[in-house]
Amino acid sequence: MFNKMVSYKYPRNLLMLFELLALFLLFIYSKDNLNKFTFIYGIGLILIVYVSNFLLLRISTGDTYIFLIVTMLISIGLIMIYRIDPLLGIKQILWIGMGIFIFFLTYLVFKNIKGWEEWTYFYGIGSIILFIITLLFGSRIRGAINWISIGGLSIQPSEIIKLLTIFLIASYYTRYEHFKKQKYGSYYLIATTYLFILFLFLQRDLGTVLILYTLFIALQFIYEENRRLILYNLLFSIVSGFLGYLLFPHVRIRFETWLNPWKYIDNKGYQITQSLFAIAEGGFFGTGLGLGHPDFIPEVHTDFIFSAICEEMGIFTGMGIIMLFLILVYRGFKIGINQKIKFYRIVAIGISILFGIQSFIIFGGVLKMIPLTGITIPFVSYGGSSMLSSFIALGILQVASEELDFEEAKDG
Amino acid sequence: MDKEIKRIITVLTAICILFVSLMAYLTYFQIFKAESVKMNSYNKRLWINEEKILRGSIIDRNGKILAYSEKVDDTYKRFYNYGNLYSHIIGYSYREYGKAGLELEYNNTLLNISESTALNELKNIVLPNTEGNTLKLTIDHHLQEYSRNLLKGHKGSIVAMNPTTGEIYAMVSLPDFNPTNLKEDWKNIVEDENSPLLNRATSGLYTPGSTFKVLTAIAAIEKKDLDREYECTGSANIDGYILKDYDGKPHGKLNLEEALVKSCNTYFGEKGVIIGKDALGEVAERFLVNKKIDFDLPVSKSSFPYKDNLGETDIAAASIGQGKLLMTPLNMALIASGIANKGDIVKPILVKEVISPEGKVLRNNQPQLLTKAVDIFTANEVKNMMVESVKRGTSRNASIKNVRVAGKTGTAENPSGKSHAWFIGFAPAEEPKIALAVVLEEEGSTGGKAAAPIARNIIIEALNTIK
Repeated sequence: MFNKMVSYKYPRNLLMLFELLALFLLFIYSKDNLNKFTFIYGIGLILIVYVSNFLLLRISTGDTYIFLIVTMLISIGLIMIYRIDPLLGIKQILWIGMGIFIFFLTYLVFKNIKGWEEWTYFYGIGSIILFIITLLFGSRIRGAINWISIGGLSIQPSEIIKLLTIFLIASYYTRYEHFKKQKYGSYYLIATTYLFILFLFLQRDLGTVLILYTLFIALQFIYEENRRLILYNLLFSIVSGFLGYLLFPHVRIRFETWLNPWKYIDNKGYQITQSLFAIAEGGFFGTGLGLGHPDFIPEVHTDFIFSAICEEMGIFTGMGIIMLFLILVYRGFKIGINQKIKFYRIVAIGISILFGIQSFIIFGGVLKMIPLTGITIPFVSYGGSSMLSSFIALGILQVASEELDFEEAKDG
Repeated sequence: MDKEIKRIITVLTAICILFVSLMAYLTYFQIFKAESVKMNSYNKRLWINEEKILRGSIIDRNGKILAYSEKVDDTYKRFYNYGNLYSHIIGYSYREYGKAGLELEYNNTLLNISESTALNELKNIVLPNTEGNTLKLTIDHHLQEYSRNLLKGHKGSIVAMNPTTGEIYAMVSLPDFNPTNLKEDWKNIVEDENSPLLNRATSGLYTPGSTFKVLTAIAAIEKKDLDREYECTGSANIDGYILKDYDGKPHGKLNLEEALVKSCNTYFGEKGVIIGKDALGEVAERFLVNKKIDFDLPVSKSSFPYKDNLGETDIAAASIGQGKLLMTPLNMALIASGIANKGDIVKPILVKEVISPEGKVLRNNQPQLLTKAVDIFTANEVKNMMVESVKRGTSRNASIKNVRVAGKTGTAENPSGKSHAWFIGFAPAEEPKIALAVVLEEEGSTGGKAAAPIARNIIIEALNTIK
């Protein structure tokens, strides 16, 4: 038993070693305001991660690597957040604890409750209600209205909407035959999706627009029988992108600062150039934890956490994170392909695309490879809503990775 | 495989391509872009040390303070004591305009920033340094000021150095600018078509004219079977091109020494063709032409593209320092130094010592042999010809009573229509203490008339004052 615990053959042990080393570095760095609470929190986190990896092996017969990958991502993100601001770091630990709890809860709920594919209308209407609430009560943070405050707690409804959209698309295509029989039935999904995108445009949440659009088109590409619809959608996306550029100044700004941020270095190009300085400064191996200046980048703990990681841990770690996401996406697709129940198959692939495209958009954005849209990296950036919704998604993916014994849906 | 799975794999492949392109872009950025991105003056990391550390002073070889920093209202302010005099050597350091000169090249030394290793950084957290190192230059402030005064009113450059140690005593480039008033003058400086920001001594590329004949003479000596005798008629027909002597006057019967003393174009043109472009180019390269010169400031490469397809006319032109040749004044000074120093070229240095805030000498730059350009016998033979040139030839205006000066003038035709006036030389010939190159850009006069007298005065002043 003890041999098993210290053996390098078990990835969770390697992960623990990584966390211990990083924690040790952090303590050297913040020796001035060291207190026993951070220590307890740190050890607590390591235990939670270790135990939950261990626990998952016992209760799940599915893919246990996806959770392992995610805990690695979380560790890197948390270390960076703690280094930038210890107070945020402690909050993030709480979010992580809550997230892992939600993960197991989601796992149990989806494992034991059937019939999720029946609720197509609920997913659609639920999303629309959330959109309306956001527009009515939302506050504008950094140009986009995507936060609502409830009793001092800010939540981001778009995080939930992303998941609802996946469910909506999955249940629509699971019950495809049923909808096809209805008049205009094959246009229901497209109409709803465009309504969502319109709402997001009104909220100026360009990042989520991009994510939903990609998700929609990718899933449509796989499941839509009317292939011409896909072509129309692609054409429409180009036209609407162009119109968006002409009509909305904030879309134009994104493009201008992407093409030449140096020209606007004083104002609108400030963030992205600060991000590039950080990445350039880091080099291949980074300046070392606590030795760089990621604090020069505005919003560094959420959207720009990747630049901070590149500065202090080097682009090798940056590539490591990209590769972790690649493996996560790959395993998610594999889960989808192996899943026999159609609804779960589509959900698994939808969630994998979500993880993949969301991380790609923000990685590419802070690198100035594509125009920057402010979204978070799942599991790595600071933020409760993002953390919880990502863990819900992961929990569902975990369920989908198992051989489910309930009856195959009728149209499957 | 059914259609659905095929399509799923297509989507997966697309996402994989996206991720791989991310990694490729990240690598590309780090390898090709990062350096220049980092140096942007908006990168606060470049300045964070500046706000905490007192930038070190810069002093001349005798300890005279040329630049220093002082705390003014909570920030450090940089003072340049002699305005224009050191604009190209010391340069400047401003947040708005960046850095130049030694302020740029020795930035880390002046701020006492050690190479960024984890250990050094850790040391810095425990024992933060607050004061930078002092740079002690090889420059002699008096000679620098004296040389600039002589050059005033002209465009051009002077480089005066010790041929045996490589220490630069004076390095002037005109027009220059005042680093103290950079804020007020910036617009004018940048727009001035005479480019005052350019350090002509290291980066000005000039046609060398007859000063280059020194190298042609070395190539001639090294070609053992060359007939050194020649009958000059005042002009020569080389491959259809008529090469003329100055004013077209015939020099009559000449040997190599007389040819150099009288700076005979037809002699060197005709002999150069016989020597050939490869032998000539090889000599030039030994004297650092086409080579990167390692120096405390960035140096442009002098160039002689002898490997190109040159015709006889081109070779003849190059042999007399015209045509496709371009030389920096520093390179010309090094050629004079090499001949003065028995054929050995010593690495030129501008920074003699780096001194810590506690007064400890952290680094002492010792003379360092850069290259053995030519053997001692050839060097001596050319040296004697140059002594004769000053004694009775075109370089007469550089002669000094009781001191044997070696020199060679040049009058370089160039596209501007007004010739550059050149002089390179060293003294005393038997035990050289100073070597120099003087170029007056677009002076419209000969090297003998315009450049040699300036060189003469500098040599006298240097021999009298520098210990």
